[in-house]
Amino acid sequence: MKITVSINLGGYSFNIDEDAYAELKRYLKNLELHFAGEESSSEILSDIETRMAELFRTKLTNYKQVIDIRDAQEIISILGTPEDISDNEGPTVRDKFSSPGYHRMYRDPDHRAIGGVCAGIAAYWDLEIWVVRLIFLALAMMGVGFLIYIILYIVIPEAKTTAEKIAMKGNPVNIHNIKNSVKEEFETVRKNMTSKNQ
Amino acid sequence: MDLENNKAQMRKGILEYCILSVLSRNSCYASDIIKELKEAEVIVVEGTLYPLLTRQKNAGLLSYRWEESQQGPPRKYYELTEEGRKYLADLDKSWMELVESVNLIRTR
Repeated sequence: MKITVSINLGGYSFNIDEDAYAELKRYLKNLELHFAGEESSSEILSDIETRMAELFRTKLTNYKQVIDIRDAQEIISILGTPEDISDNEGPTVRDKFSSPGYHRMYRDPDHRAIGGVCAGIAAYWDLEIWVVRLIFLALAMMGVGFLIYIILYIVIPEAKTTAEKIAMKGNPVNIHNIKNSVKEEFETVRKNMTSKNQ
Repeated sequence: MDLENNKAQMRKGILEYCILSVLSRNSCYASDIIKELKEAEVIVVEGTLYPLLTRQKNAGLLSYRWEESQQGPPRKYYELTEEGRKYLADLDKSWMELVESVNLIRTR
């Protein structure tokens, strides 16, 4: 036995399983974020909801009256995730804001051992942090590493905001990337919390 | 080289042109447009169509009217505006030029 939710989608009413409802809600929320910068985002969303309702209606018969998680997943794959949609879109207004990726060097406070210089360099050139650290260690043994580190520490600013952290890796600053890095940060905090509790 | 990416880029370039071409024959409901685009294999996920339609409408190339439907709520029927027809004529011309250019190189 399962609980169903009653929803209004594009003017039709549907009974939908609770898990399918959660899946659908998350999907629509993602689409909303994806189109947030668009002039008529609510119109696009309501058009997509109308189409979704139409597709759901083809899934129902007299013997099957509830939308389940499989239906929801199938319809989502027909309509496409925000990533699929932006892969297939033509050159748009959106591109002006999101690309090309703004790329500059920052010190990385999240992965630092001392001041985040090595971590920042590693993020900028997409290297392993330990490789950069090893190079600095070698330079330090030759007697110049320490001075270079101090100079770089002063010259390179620290990545403070989410946008700066994205630019540090060279990804375009758009809603999708900000969302991802906020999600990452949230996961780190959660992991820290649980490891402290144990 | 990434073949799939290359194909996707080509589809991207012609998708808006294809939408306008479908609408040049008669006014259409969005799902009819999807059906044609899918049959011609120029669209992968349906969600791509809706932002494009709205943008073309906002740019003055399309307009729409609500039409009652026997199967459910009223439907949005899109049609080309006068400006849209001119725009399509320009695209038709550049498409023919493009095909000629490619053929010229391929058959040389």
